Amino acid sequence: MVAPPDNDVLWARGLTHAHDGSPALHSVSLGVRDGEILAVSGPRGSGKTTLLRCLSGQLLPQEGEVWFNSTPVHTMGPLTRERLRRDRFGWIDPEPALVPELTAWENVALPLMLRGFGRRAAKTAALEWLQRLDVGGCARKRPYALLHSERQRVVVARALVGSPTVLFADEPTAPLHRAERGHVLRTLTAAARSHGITVVLATHDPETAALADRTVSLLDGRRVRTVHLPQPAETEGRAACSLSV
Amino acid sequence: MLALRLARGAHPVVHLRRALVTVASAGTGFLLLCALGHALAHPYAPAGSALRLAWCAVPLATTVYFAVAVARTDPGTRPRPGLAAIGLGPGRLMAVSAVTTALSTTLGSMLALLFFLHLRGDLTGLPFDGHAADVLAADRHLPVPATLTLLALVPATASVTTALSLRPRGRRPEDAGRTADGPKAVWRRGRGTREKDPAHPGGTDGRQAGQRDHGEDPDSSGAPARARRGSTGSHALSEALALCSSGTSAPWTGTVPDPEQDPYRSTAPQPAPGGLPWGVAVLAAGLAVEMYASRYGTAPGLALPGGSAGGPAGVLGGWVLTALGLILAGPGLTHLCGQVLQAVRPGALRLLAGRVLQEEARRIGRPLGVVCAVASGTYAMATVYSGARPHVGPLTTLGALLVTGCAVLTLATAALEARNARAETTAALLRLGAPATALRAVALLRAGALFAVFGPLTWTVAELAATPLTP
Repeated sequence: MVAPPDNDVLWARGLTHAHDGSPALHSVSLGVRDGEILAVSGPRGSGKTTLLRCLSGQLLPQEGEVWFNSTPVHTMGPLTRERLRRDRFGWIDPEPALVPELTAWENVALPLMLRGFGRRAAKTAALEWLQRLDVGGCARKRPYALLHSERQRVVVARALVGSPTVLFADEPTAPLHRAERGHVLRTLTAAARSHGITVVLATHDPETAALADRTVSLLDGRRVRTVHLPQPAETEGRAACSLSV
Repeated sequence: MLALRLARGAHPVVHLRRALVTVASAGTGFLLLCALGHALAHPYAPAGSALRLAWCAVPLATTVYFAVAVARTDPGTRPRPGLAAIGLGPGRLMAVSAVTTALSTTLGSMLALLFFLHLRGDLTGLPFDGHAADVLAADRHLPVPATLTLLALVPATASVTTALSLRPRGRRPEDAGRTADGPKAVWRRGRGTREKDPAHPGGTDGRQAGQRDHGEDPDSSGAPARARRGSTGSHALSEALALCSSGTSAPWTGTVPDPEQDPYRSTAPQPAPGGLPWGVAVLAAGLAVEMYASRYGTAPGLALPGGSAGGPAGVLGGWVLTALGLILAGPGLTHLCGQVLQAVRPGALRLLAGRVLQEEARRIGRPLGVVCAVASGTYAMATVYSGARPHVGPLTTLGALLVTGCAVLTLATAALEARNARAETTAALLRLGAPATALRAVALLRAGALFAVFGPLTWTVAELAATPLTP
């Protein structure tokens, strides 16, 4: 076991994982520096989500190591990983997975309340974050009454409210239209930079990846320097039509 | 065949549930056949046999209730993307559900017939051969049509009720202003964001549905057809009760049923179930009737099967009203529990427990009301039999066991259904790093709150109901 470099907040080596036999990741190594925004890019099915889940301790890689701040994550028990996720990590799903029974501010305050904060303190922090992300007006609405982009912003607020060390965002803007996508991403990155939060951002969109400090490309579960997919050729199998008909 | 194949590949727990339905159906079938046996043995006393047959209605009702609850929870026949992809919509799946239910209940009926014949002594080779030959009129020929009719009662009722309660509901596309994307897309929309939609991974569809369904005017002609699978209380009776209690829209007038009654779209909060005042009123009326009837002492009595006379007819009517009141009040009380639980400055635990309880009030409350009604009835019966008439016949015991078991199992199935419906939210909470112990504590808190409210209530009602019966 080699100790990771000191300036990496998150460091992974040789991550290999397969979902019930279907290969997802093959020997992926990467380091995430403190305070940077790292984009993990690649087409669908290239193993981005699996990589993020391995890094955040939701999934134990079958091979390889994950270190967080010089602590091995891959040797932790499930309870310790759970506490690590609760206290140090934030997670944003591709779909806004809010608790439908709670209002927006209660959803945002939930991570703090689960950590044992008082209700008043949690509410204040939640309302502040909702204001910062321009959804302060929705604080008392339930998720069903919000627009999709508003919900996603509430999710971002929920991930940021606990001031995590690392924020994992798995295609946070995939279901949104482009205008909303840009807005949500900019608020996310701005908030992360101003609070010194490290962000690992999975995306298949080059425009989204452009907002990051650094990009790691994945293709078919392997890390690649650049993705050069062959251009789709002419429609296969169709006979060329002739103009002389 | 599809039903068989889907049934075969299921999880052992699902098989266990189906086996329990089979057992319940066997028990009810056996009780029905025993009524027939009594009629054969006493051809000149039809009143007693008819009474026995009438008493079989209670186990029959609970068996059907349980079968429908199991059919609703059956993962094999829930609409899902894998089957929708090959064109199996809710309509066909309803048929599959009905066939699966018919299979398990028919199996139960066959078991009942075998056991009955065995006890009569028609089949030999096992212990207890012809043990009850004299009671079941073994010397007489068993009429085949009557036997088949009685045995077909449980499968037919159960599968028809399953089909009715799981039928896809909603207006046809032509009534709904011709939505562009046809009935299948409409159906998906009706399901909302709860189910993952393969064509719209973002769930924007559900969002639209939520918006339109819960807009200002859900009955406007522009609203999309809304297909619903099942009603809130998990069977047609409960829907009828809900309709009685709300007293607003009737399904047969062609208006769209209340969107709030669909438990599978929990994106929008459901309004508080309105059955509580009705339930309390019916409960009080039942108790009053019982008290009033018992003043006249032993009026023309309705005998309980098992050899001992029961209370007068008025007392029984009171019992029925009391049970109905408890069933009607169940959802409202559950909602109230949730409201109280999350009332004053709640932390994460009370907030989650209370809100979820409010949301699941309809799904959980109705079976809970049934369990309470059965419990209070059992308590009252136990009081009666422990007093002057200590003798309880084996068939009465079987019937009581059936009713109690079915009610409790239905409640368990409903709880499972609620858990399955919330699986996505639970997974999201776990991804957030919510401790599993906290989620367990939330579940315990909910159960404790329900027990704290319903336990004393049931006990009080049972005590009051038993008072006029004790000598």
